[in-house]
Amino acid sequence: MTKREIECEQALRQIFEYIDHELDDTERAAMEHHLHTCHSCYSRAQFERRLKAKLGELKSDDADPTVRGRIKGLLDSF
Amino acid sequence: MGISRKAFEEQVLALVGSLNGVARRLTANPADAEDLVAETVARAWRALDSLKSEAAFRAWIFSILHNTFVSELRRAGARPRLVSVECDEAEEEEVQFSIFEQMHQPFLLWFSNPEQAFLDKLLREDLDRALASLPEHHRVVVVLSDLEELSYGEIAEALGIPVGTVRSRLARARGALQKILWRQAREYGLNAAAPASRQGDEGGTDAPREAAAGAIVRKEKGSVR
Repeated sequence: MTKREIECEQALRQIFEYIDHELDDTERAAMEHHLHTCHSCYSRAQFERRLKAKLGELKSDDADPTVRGRIKGLLDSF
Repeated sequence: MGISRKAFEEQVLALVGSLNGVARRLTANPADAEDLVAETVARAWRALDSLKSEAAFRAWIFSILHNTFVSELRRAGARPRLVSVECDEAEEEEVQFSIFEQMHQPFLLWFSNPEQAFLDKLLREDLDRALASLPEHHRVVVVLSDLEELSYGEIAEALGIPVGTVRSRLARARGALQKILWRQAREYGLNAAAPASRQGDEGGTDAPREAAAGAIVRKEKGSVR
């Protein structure tokens, strides 16, 4: 196994923590250094980040007015 | 500790959209989701003393929402799949699944990015359907992380599991989600891109996958979406 393969293996193992901003500063710096030198891992990170963003677009911030009204009424009753 | 009544109301009203959104993903039914949110808020009010700090409010109320959902299911006689760490280990295969690995071809890097083209063609309903197909223990971590943007620590708090379990469960859930998206894409003819298969059992062709991905169409519509 070459050094590059080990680096890729580590990068892929941490790819979700990277896109979720869960790596500490040292881990993040090592990951970003690797991504600057490895097009395949960089592309993988881009893919996972874009898929995560697309899922994020499913979120709806506005509750149905009926739900909001019911919850307001409930809060008033406490 | 708890917080003031005013602060409680403000926090609840700020989060009611998120609570309802997660409740809908859990129950798959708007009326049940509304009831779940109302019951969650009522329980939260009664349990206010258990809130450690205002900063912990979001994870705390999502924890009540999830616990309420599970207990309501039990009361209804359903058996939610309560997953242990050991059970998770059996799902190792799913964590390995990656659409990127299925489609990415380094030697074609400069000509196309089939995996990016795949994402471009994904519609909201494709993602909605795939997410709804996930088992509850996978769906909830994806929803809390990717839709609600909770940290791993907050998700751990909300679901009552260790952070390490959140990490591994999220990786497996994403693998499972991608596997569903990949299967859906094959069903819709989205990706003849499906490999001439690495397993050799999917009936793919030898045509370059990037060419197939470039022709992403839905068979039933006959048009690019």
